[in-house]
Amino acid sequence: MELLRIDNLRKRYSSFELKDVSFSLEAGYIMGFIGPNGAGKTTTLKCMLGLVKLDGGKVQMFGHDFFQNELAYKQLIGVHFGGVDFYPKTQIKTITDVVSRFYENWDNTVYKSYVQRFNLDENKRLSELSGGMKIKYSLALALSHHAKLLILDEPTSGLDPVARNDLLTLFQETIESGEASILFSTHITSDLENCADFITYIENGRIIASCEKDELIASYRLVKGTSAQLPDVKTRLISEKTHAFGFTGLIHTNDLIDSDTVTVEEPSLDDIMIFHAKKENRHEESAL
Amino acid sequence: MKNLLYKEFRLVINPLFFLITLLGALVLIPQWAYFVAPMYLLFIAVPNIIVTAKTQKDNEFTVLLPVRKSDAVRARVLAIALLQVVQIFVIAIFAMLNIILYHTRNFLIDPNVAYIGCVFAMYGIFNVVFFPMLYKTAYKVGVPLIVAMIFTFAFAAGIEFLVVDVPVAAYILDGISRDALIGQIPVLVCGIAVFILLTWISIRKSSERYGRVDL
Repeated sequence: MELLRIDNLRKRYSSFELKDVSFSLEAGYIMGFIGPNGAGKTTTLKCMLGLVKLDGGKVQMFGHDFFQNELAYKQLIGVHFGGVDFYPKTQIKTITDVVSRFYENWDNTVYKSYVQRFNLDENKRLSELSGGMKIKYSLALALSHHAKLLILDEPTSGLDPVARNDLLTLFQETIESGEASILFSTHITSDLENCADFITYIENGRIIASCEKDELIASYRLVKGTSAQLPDVKTRLISEKTHAFGFTGLIHTNDLIDSDTVTVEEPSLDDIMIFHAKKENRHEESAL
Repeated sequence: MKNLLYKEFRLVINPLFFLITLLGALVLIPQWAYFVAPMYLLFIAVPNIIVTAKTQKDNEFTVLLPVRKSDAVRARVLAIALLQVVQIFVIAIFAMLNIILYHTRNFLIDPNVAYIGCVFAMYGIFNVVFFPMLYKTAYKVGVPLIVAMIFTFAFAAGIEFLVVDVPVAAYILDGISRDALIGQIPVLVCGIAVFILLTWISIRKSSERYGRVDL
């Protein structure tokens, strides 16, 4: 079952524009929403949830128009937005008391299990928690009402490696039943190497790719060669970096030809992001 | 709505703001401009509540809950309207005490039943000007407060002018005799009706504008 479908989402600001953002997510999967800072990840999530007024496009959740029955679908989703800075001087047990009242399926046993797992002290005020602990608290709130779709903005940034690993394990556990899905945005692509099934990659407000992670990686190749080899492939490269010994560049796998003599390697998600960003920068510079 | 109101009073509106309503005791001052007493709530409590909500990122937090943006506006306006009603209730008690203790006419409007009705209408005017202006941005409170207070002062000054200078109006609005107080009940009813109507318009207009705000 398709839990989330975004069609041609559009939002124009004076200096930035989301251009026909479309992707979808089936039940039982984790989708990483990646892109460099300012690419439009948070804006897309805000548009999806109605925090920002759309200029166009459709948001479907659980097979229906989200905005037609916002209240019912919000009961079925868990949301975390980066920068947990709400009610800093309020004890977290007070915030929980308020939040829990809004959810029909709030499960206090589940909530308590997260409090224990994350070592949260409910008597503390939010401002007394470290950045990582704030994120854990926000996630505990998002995960305690048996949400079918988790929409998490930068949930791993600010967490130490142990906590990040624990969280990624938790994500896997959450989708194990096959009923729930997670969409999480991040610019730390190493988080996705092990846990994401799908990747949606956004760059400068435009979706570059939205597909299975392995398919995405397979569709690109990292090529390395000497300065003398560069002219042969340069026009086919998405972008490249030159250095004293030659160059490294990213190419669409389909653009490779048998006669190429360059070294071909599998790129990481970071490589794909970095070389696409370099291409965008080059376009912007040439436009100026 | 019950949950949102609970959130307003648990996380945003500090119980201390209810203490401000005790400024209704100012109605015990003999020979005074009694419309000043209910205004403290407007220029102390209301902007502080809005600024507290802003600094606590309440708007952003609330819309992530299973509520509509328009519900969040309704809860905020209703919570403040509730404070206004509490304020009027406190003023009514001290106004009664004023009449019992002094039993003297005031140069301006007396703290009588018609005065209470006018305070209701005054709060309605504040709400219908302030909140729709505020929810153009949901965070800029200065100009909406100044404009709403100008309208509020103008209304109060207008009523005081009528009481002092227009005998027919004074006959309807002024007086502390038993007969006068009973005769003023329609003014109270009208005041309450104006308060409800203007607050309802305020909620509708504010919700519409907040819907266009990007958080």
